[in-house]
Amino acid sequence: MPVSKPDSALLILGHGSTENPDSAQPSWEHADAIAATGQFRSVHCAFWKEEPSFRQVWPMIEEAEVYVVPNFISEGYFTRQVLPRELELEGHTTRHGNRTVHYCDPVGIHATMTDLLIKRAYEIIDEGVKIEETALIIVGHGTNLNKKSTEAITDQVEAIKKKGEPFAEVLDAYMEEAPFIADWRTLTDAPTVVVVPFFIADALHSYQDIPVLLGIEKEITEAASQREVFRQNPYHFGDRTLYYSSAIGTDPSLAQVIIDQVAYFDEHYLS
Amino acid sequence: MNLAEELEALLPANESRFFGELHLSRDGNGVFMACHRADLEMSETLTPVESLAGLREIAKFDANKEYRPLKTAPTLKGGWKTSTDSAAEFLKRLDCIYPGVFATWIAYHRGTHHPTPLRDTLDRQTGMYRFAGSITDQMANQIMRDTCSAGCLRKIAWPISNEAPVSRLKPGMKSIPVICTEACTFAVSEARKLVKEAYDKANPPAEN
Repeated sequence: MPVSKPDSALLILGHGSTENPDSAQPSWEHADAIAATGQFRSVHCAFWKEEPSFRQVWPMIEEAEVYVVPNFISEGYFTRQVLPRELELEGHTTRHGNRTVHYCDPVGIHATMTDLLIKRAYEIIDEGVKIEETALIIVGHGTNLNKKSTEAITDQVEAIKKKGEPFAEVLDAYMEEAPFIADWRTLTDAPTVVVVPFFIADALHSYQDIPVLLGIEKEITEAASQREVFRQNPYHFGDRTLYYSSAIGTDPSLAQVIIDQVAYFDEHYLS
Repeated sequence: MNLAEELEALLPANESRFFGELHLSRDGNGVFMACHRADLEMSETLTPVESLAGLREIAKFDANKEYRPLKTAPTLKGGWKTSTDSAAEFLKRLDCIYPGVFATWIAYHRGTHHPTPLRDTLDRQTGMYRFAGSITDQMANQIMRDTCSAGCLRKIAWPISNEAPVSRLKPGMKSIPVICTEACTFAVSEARKLVKEAYDKANPPAEN
């Protein structure tokens, strides 16, 4: 559903990277797509590790009302601590002089992400693949330092199961905690496995690290934009077939999810 | 004046200015043009790049195809130009090359955006950067010299601490200032690295 904010600015927040040139790319692409719709007077991006930084962006924005949407997968350290601190936000709405800033929920927790994950899985498998013989694995980062880091993934797995999709199994797996994605061959015995990374960009983790853990690359490759060889699904491991998707955050539909988070803010948090 | 009007005022018809490694100009018809300052003499042969995405790609990699996470590093590649008759559009295009740098200067010059002392930036860090605030003044000067001055075109407008004021930067006659009002992620990372190195040196691993 479109929103009409002809006097407001939209600010999309991303992590960015000083190492990988593709980390910020989805945020810019979604920003350009949203700007082209004219739903906001201006659309901006800012990043933790790239420019403009969270600290540099305020002078660029001239509108009195700003909607801030974190292009992050989950609620946690960044969305609750780093972003509000760096942008000097308190609670849902902050007033800075003549400017009113609305801090929306991150894209990754919006309800429509579940359908997007399912759509992405169906998109990458070939015609004729039997869904009932196919396991869907949603892979995230995971860390033993934070119990909450897996919640976004397990919530999506439960939501996909509840939708009654005919996959043989729907599983969660992680880079750095059990169940490990490197063990995908033993996590399921389904003949076909589809792995969808629940990440914002095809950057360090989803493009470079996870393919090594899956066994489709022998060593960490160059970044996607610096590589001349393109990956091609499917991958065969004996009698098993593996499909590996690009990160969910690269899906053009994420632009609509960003707008949906603005609409959600107006419905639930606007005072 | 809004930002686009400020840009128009700084760049009237038939005038030009430097902006970092860019040369900005405006012809008699009011059309804005930007190119690398090293390409001034060959503007007829430059490749026109008119999309924001195209300009971001130019800023993303240097001439050796190395990633440029710091957009004000002195490594902007040449061979291109961009032109438009809209000041607002021209500003968006400049922001692809130097994100937020023009707006930062205008806000600083107006007195609506104040530099943040380095120690304030470092002291509010958490997570893996939480110890960055314990740098010495000597380390801070080392960062300013070896990381900032050596690798970035921005002129530092922030003091090390509130007790160490810095003089205000002034507009140039022929250039739009490229200024830094707060230490960036590279300076913060360097502070963390220096603190860690000093700690490791003072606390060597015990020998068996």
